[in-house]
Amino acid sequence: METITRFLTSPMMIELIWTVAQIFAVIVPLLIAVAYLTLAERRVIGLMQLRKGPNVVGPFGLFQPFADALKLLSKETILPSGASKAVFVIAPMLTFILSLVAWAVIPFGEGMVIADVNVGILYLFAISSLGVYGVIMAGWASNSKYPFLGAMRSAAQMISYEVSLGLVIITVIMAAGSLNLSDIVMAQKDMWFFIPLFPMFVIFFISTLAETNRAPFDLPEGESELVAGYFVEYSSMSFALFFLGEYANMILMSGMTTTLFLGGWLPPFDWPILYLIPGPIWFALKVALVLFVFLWVRATTPRYRYDQLMRLGWKIFLPFTLIFVVLTGGVLLGFGLLPQ
Amino acid sequence: MDLLNLQPAIAEIFLALASLGLVLLSAFIMPQEYASKLVRRLTIFSFLIAIFLIIYNGYKPAYAFNGQFFTSSFMVYMKVIILLGAIGILMMAKREFKQDQIDRPELPLLMLLSVLGMMLMVSANDIILLYMGLELQSLPLYVIAAIRRESLRSSEAGLKYFLLGALSSGLLLYGASLLYGFTGHTSYDGIKIALESNVSAGAVIGMVFLISGIAFKISAAPFHMWTPDVYEGSPTIVTAFFAVVPKLAAMTLFLRFTYGVLADASDSWQQIVMIIAVLSMLVGAGGAIMQTDIKRLMAYSSIAHMGYALVGIAAASDMGIGAVMLYMAIYVISSIGVFAIILSIKQEGRPLTRIEDLSGFSRSHPVYALAMMVLMFSMAGIPPMGGFFGKWYVFSAAVASGHVILAIIGVLASVIGAFYYIRIIKVMYVDEQVIEIDHNVPRSNMMIAFGSALIMAFFLFGLSILREQITAAIPFVVFVAG
Amino acid sequence: MIAPLFFYLFALMTVVSGLMVILARNPVHSVLFLILSFFNSAGLFVLLGAEFLAMLLVVVYVGAVAVLFLFVVMMLDINIDEMRQGFRQHLPLGLVVGLILIVELLMVFTQDLSTDNVLATNMSGEISNTAMIGQVLYTEYLLNFQVAGLILLVAMIGAITLTMRHREGVKRQNISEQNSRTRDETVQIVSVDSHVAPKVLDDSRAANKRLQ
Repeated sequence: METITRFLTSPMMIELIWTVAQIFAVIVPLLIAVAYLTLAERRVIGLMQLRKGPNVVGPFGLFQPFADALKLLSKETILPSGASKAVFVIAPMLTFILSLVAWAVIPFGEGMVIADVNVGILYLFAISSLGVYGVIMAGWASNSKYPFLGAMRSAAQMISYEVSLGLVIITVIMAAGSLNLSDIVMAQKDMWFFIPLFPMFVIFFISTLAETNRAPFDLPEGESELVAGYFVEYSSMSFALFFLGEYANMILMSGMTTTLFLGGWLPPFDWPILYLIPGPIWFALKVALVLFVFLWVRATTPRYRYDQLMRLGWKIFLPFTLIFVVLTGGVLLGFGLLPQ
Repeated sequence: MDLLNLQPAIAEIFLALASLGLVLLSAFIMPQEYASKLVRRLTIFSFLIAIFLIIYNGYKPAYAFNGQFFTSSFMVYMKVIILLGAIGILMMAKREFKQDQIDRPELPLLMLLSVLGMMLMVSANDIILLYMGLELQSLPLYVIAAIRRESLRSSEAGLKYFLLGALSSGLLLYGASLLYGFTGHTSYDGIKIALESNVSAGAVIGMVFLISGIAFKISAAPFHMWTPDVYEGSPTIVTAFFAVVPKLAAMTLFLRFTYGVLADASDSWQQIVMIIAVLSMLVGAGGAIMQTDIKRLMAYSSIAHMGYALVGIAAASDMGIGAVMLYMAIYVISSIGVFAIILSIKQEGRPLTRIEDLSGFSRSHPVYALAMMVLMFSMAGIPPMGGFFGKWYVFSAAVASGHVILAIIGVLASVIGAFYYIRIIKVMYVDEQVIEIDHNVPRSNMMIAFGSALIMAFFLFGLSILREQITAAIPFVVFVAG
Repeated sequence: MIAPLFFYLFALMTVVSGLMVILARNPVHSVLFLILSFFNSAGLFVLLGAEFLAMLLVVVYVGAVAVLFLFVVMMLDINIDEMRQGFRQHLPLGLVVGLILIVELLMVFTQDLSTDNVLATNMSGEISNTAMIGQVLYTEYLLNFQVAGLILLVAMIGAITLTMRHREGVKRQNISEQNSRTRDETVQIVSVDSHVAPKVLDDSRAANKRLQ
């Protein structure tokens, strides 16, 4: 008994437990947010289209997500006989895990971050660039036409938009002078980056739409052409993992937008009274705002045609962001605004 | 040493900027035929400017880019020949582009980038830059070998060249990393100094890989397998480019590496180079005998010529360097001349490449046949043509260093080689005409063919001037002390 | 305690997945294992304190290069049995060459691997390794960096040269043309006589009548 207590109170163990607790403190609210994002999406789009949306299960339909989860769980998991079993099973897990691990470096408040790494922004970029594997693996492993087409589209689309995403991030890095996300947020104390880098902010947001395969860039799952794209063959829990992953990714991308352009946990004005509201609340509010725009776009824009999508990525965003990188560097250097 | 002294590299910087400008130009100028004409002319023009810039910069040894880049009279000599060779090829390219349906601006553009890579490779003073230059040199070559996309042979040539070229780059890189690992330096100067004190087994292995990689690029036996197929499959103008320009650059690199960097380990590399030289001479001479296609014949001939040049390197003496430099200059001039004639042999605009198509050439085109004869005699090494002096100096360098057997094998190989060169002359002068060969030969081809034939015929008179240049350049193969 | 544990985890995974790249029967699985081994190498870089390189490895190799690689391999219809043909034949030769190489290298590395030749610079200073790489890359190795850019340009030009073709009869959208179009050019106003039924209409009426 004594040895067990000693083991449990050893510094390493405490550190471990603390880390696990931190992780849970991020993941549990995140999953609840995902659940309610699905509800919010249906309600918001419903209202925009002059419908009511789900409002029956619980007060204002608040229990709807749980009902959906129960429904999914009670369904049968189907493994297609022609599928590449291991890859087929791993793909949704990968999508889901990747959408969670990225949260490790996002700062919710001053010092409120699981891992305050030096290259946080690169880590985020790396993880978001891995997201394509879940889609490709799912599409290939299903051994079926529509998923494969969806996977192909998705791979091309995500890689195309990653290029401009990377260049946008470079302008932010130049303006902040650091790869650490907390430093980037602190650099926005006087002015959020979306004001001086407004065009980059817009491009970044549009690129995140493409990265998350959301409307109007939802070609990989375009239901009218590809049934449901890469997750046609998935059902039950494995489908739920994709679903959760997609929505968690949306929240993640909104978090990234918030951190890079909207001042992270900082209040909108540098007034002492606004600091009474804790940082995480500000952060959550901004994320919610960006998410609302995600839904708004989905409700109001038609799907892009594939060639238009590629044209936008390669012929408009890429040259424009390239020019802007040079311009930002030049302005920062010319006016002596370089950080440090 | 000035840290970022760009002045010595001004020609390379200019060519890099010119290539970028031409990329934009060829993207925006719309009728493609017009764009390709314009780009071809501008490429020739920028080569001329580059020659001017190189000569303007002078022969003084100088470093640039933090010691990564080094130039001296040796590099000036080699770079000017490289550029002249490239200009010669591009001058002949006008009609070829049109007839081979490769009339695209990318072709001269890629040649420009390749030449830029060669110049960087020649001037590199660091194995990282050496590798970068080498890749910049060879990547465009793979593409232009396959430029005729609808032709299966051209695609095959490109693919074969690419696969084997990638392999050789891998060998070279592997050798370079071993060399770095065992000497602790990537710069030539550093490696040389480290090898002065101690030549470790690891460095020797690295050296072997490195030399194999470079031998691949000059297509010396036993790394020559790709040459005949690539030469045959590529469009003839591209073959001419392959036969002349990259060989020269890779040979320069060979010289710099063996004489400069590895000078103190000459015991270790001398035998390797000797083996490569002997094999190339024999393979080149033996392989050419059976050929019926003149492009394949030129491939084997170039393998043999590389073998002769390597004899000069194997001599491991200052005399050897001078001999190799002279040999390469002669090789470039006569090869361009031969290709100018090969490119002129057409039947109703269709290129003819079989040797027997040349029969009766002396009666239909007496002057051309004469020029071809002079060039063939020169390549065979018959006095008093230029080729004779090249071989003479190379072999005498070998004899002076005590490698008599090597020189004897060389002479024997050139006797065998003389057989197939003279066979071409026999076909031209003795055999009955079977195919009507077109008479409208472009003026540029004519000028180049006659020019090179004249140079080869009266080489003796220019020899002393060239030797002066070369003698002055010899001490600067690698770097000035300190 | 934790760091060595992770080292062994990453190292083991790198080696095992590296082996699986060769051993996997399915080429797509091979590529996936390759990606896994890249990923674990990135983990090793992190443990070395080279987090910038680690992230770069993931972004460039895993995130971009391997995706395209996977893309291509998935599209290929590779017959593994066909690939295995001739394996037995070439095996002895391959083994001999491999053995010679291994013996040579073992000789070299056991003989005189003088580690003091390659001096590692201690970078644990106040400057981060990202800044360090930047400082070297853009000053000392500027030329190499630029030449690398030119090589990539060549690769791009080459790929376009060898693959792009303008096929006839393909409808392409020309956006600037669409935008610069005016009403006068595109809309034509025609006055149609509405009193007399066109002949087409008559024909269709006749057809209808027949059907009835």
